[in-house]
Amino acid sequence: MTAMKKIEENLRKEAKRLLEGGEVSVVLAYGRGYDENHPMPFAARTVEDVDSLVFNEYCTFNLARYLPKYPPKTKIAVAVKAADSRAVVQLIQEEKVRREDLVILGIPVTGMKDQKTGEVIDNKTTCNMANPVLYDILLGDEIHGFKGGSPYDVLAELEGMDHDARMAFWKKEFEKCIRCFACRKACPMCYCDPCFMDASRPRWADKSPTPDGHLMYHLTRFYHLAGRCIDCGECSRACPVDIPLYLFHKKLAKECEDMFQQAAGMKIEDKPAMVNYGNQDSDEMLK
Amino acid sequence: MLKKIALEKLGDLVSALMEKGPLYAPVKGEKAVDFQEITNPADVILDFYNTAMSPKFAFFPQSEDLIRYRLGKEATESEAVSLDAKPSVILGVRPCDAKSFEIMDRHFLGAGIIDPYWNDKREKTTIIGYAFDPSTAADPADFYNTLGISASDTAGSDIFMIRTDKHLLFKGITEKGDRLLKELSVLEAGSKTDEKTFEDKAKKGGEVKTRFMEIQDKAVAGKLVQVFNNKEFWEKATAACISCGACTFVCPTCYCFDISDETLFRDGVRKRFWDACMFTDFTLEASGHNPRPRIFQRYRQKVCHKYSYHVDKYGCISCVGCGRCTRSCPVNIDIYSIIESASKL
Ligand code: SF4
Ligand code: SF4
Ligand code: SF4
Ligand code: SF4
Repeated sequence: MTAMKKIEENLRKEAKRLLEGGEVSVVLAYGRGYDENHPMPFAARTVEDVDSLVFNEYCTFNLARYLPKYPPKTKIAVAVKAADSRAVVQLIQEEKVRREDLVILGIPVTGMKDQKTGEVIDNKTTCNMANPVLYDILLGDEIHGFKGGSPYDVLAELEGMDHDARMAFWKKEFEKCIRCFACRKACPMCYCDPCFMDASRPRWADKSPTPDGHLMYHLTRFYHLAGRCIDCGECSRACPVDIPLYLFHKKLAKECEDMFQQAAGMKIEDKPAMVNYGNQDSDEMLK
Repeated sequence: MLKKIALEKLGDLVSALMEKGPLYAPVKGEKAVDFQEITNPADVILDFYNTAMSPKFAFFPQSEDLIRYRLGKEATESEAVSLDAKPSVILGVRPCDAKSFEIMDRHFLGAGIIDPYWNDKREKTTIIGYAFDPSTAADPADFYNTLGISASDTAGSDIFMIRTDKHLLFKGITEKGDRLLKELSVLEAGSKTDEKTFEDKAKKGGEVKTRFMEIQDKAVAGKLVQVFNNKEFWEKATAACISCGACTFVCPTCYCFDISDETLFRDGVRKRFWDACMFTDFTLEASGHNPRPRIFQRYRQKVCHKYSYHVDKYGCISCVGCGRCTRSCPVNIDIYSIIESASKL
């Protein structure tokens, strides 16, 4: 794997070239935060800004999250790790961003670290792929022979529970929820405006943090992300009270893959599984 | 008054406190430590840095019922939920958080209208503060020194607790604190040496250094008014912000709430619950107009409220530098850095 410092150097070099040549008006990447272990998403707009770009093992943010807010035709370069690139592909499929507006700076990398715990982020909370699925420029060498384990390994325990035990598990987890909405706000696929949770007519869930409202919020969000979640783990990392949201997202992703033989955000040509109809589709759920 | 107990007898103390009423103390969850109402004395831990959520919930719960009602064909019956807080104790509050209660009092009690819900719980609760361990470096996000608070500040506590190698020392700070100390027969009286140890340890707390800048309430308040219209500054400072509510919900000095009626068939409850100026719909008006549609405007409100408007209205900054907002921000926005750069403009 290319060293992080080298990736940072390549990032700065490409960002400078793209901004200088006027190919893009903004480079979405990572910048300095309040210390080394806490970098921030950073949008470089000028050649001077390029000096502030950084890359290290704590640059966990999925920058695809910021793409839909730019008006169409804005030329944007965006730095993506593997899962982030899947989010970009998914957004292109959903016509939220246009391929021709993007210069995708791919970062092949493994061993990113959680900022809160310092632990390596692996297949437990993410798809754990090493190489971006789509890119224009690679900022490091492609990684070969990386075996990170299946992203669905972590589901074994949950799948072993019966219905009541699973319900009890989620109710207990959701009890902790403070309804700060960091999960939906951090998610690249949660771009609805307004979100059903903010609608007041009708009001879909209690505005106050009630257990029923929590179920309504999370279950609806989970299902809205079926076939769309690209398993970046950003929602779970964003959660200030450590609710393992990834478990539900992974379960739905696995079911979708089994039914439609398609994982989210892998190919531009795919149509999102839930909006595409095919004669060969599984009718398992109708039986 | 100074009292003490051997470290291994913490469980006895916890049991004695539980007999007096609800006890809130730090408990280790799967990852983070948080205050919880204690049901099993063995759950209480004192080896922690600070809790993920602030202890404000004890006086200002995330959700609180105000009125219960039943809709009738002709008339609606309603009944105010009575105030019946039980005398309770919060054990292990860090000095910055203890200080936050005094700041919140200015708003809930000192603004001409007394908030009965806050007041009821506040009056009946005894706060046992707990010095930060001087041998542990401050978390890089913390900056309570900047707000004039030290790692062993007793302000805001009724009783202040310091841990030594073998003991927990308790010093009464207020009358309420002294009263509780007297009632706790599990505690031993402190000797002259213990008093000296307490003083020495308290002094050591002053040596814990968090991030620090020289700020003056009035000056920073004025400065923020001056940079209010500097759109470029605010946009740049908050470019990464995703406008969630994490920073305000974890904050010990954020007090905004919303009120709504939640009715199921004919029965309903009017409640109040935390709200946050970072939410898009916080200022959304019935007409559809939103005076703060942009993220930078909402974040600017958050900073200016704490460091400017609060100074004008209540005479102090509404932040204790506990670092929670920075630690829990999914994109590492840091209020300290923003105040620092605003001051330099
Ligand atoms: S639901 Fe979570 S893991 Fe899935 S795309 Fe959104 S943020 Fe990433
Ligand atoms: S981030 Fe966590 S606490 Fe906040 S709304 Fe989502 S699940 Fe709840
Ligand atoms: S500053 Fe951070 S925690 Fe606060 S609203 Fe913005 S992204 Fe969320
Ligand atoms: S604004 Fe941040 S540092 Fe200040 S009291 Fe609130 S959470 Fe703590």
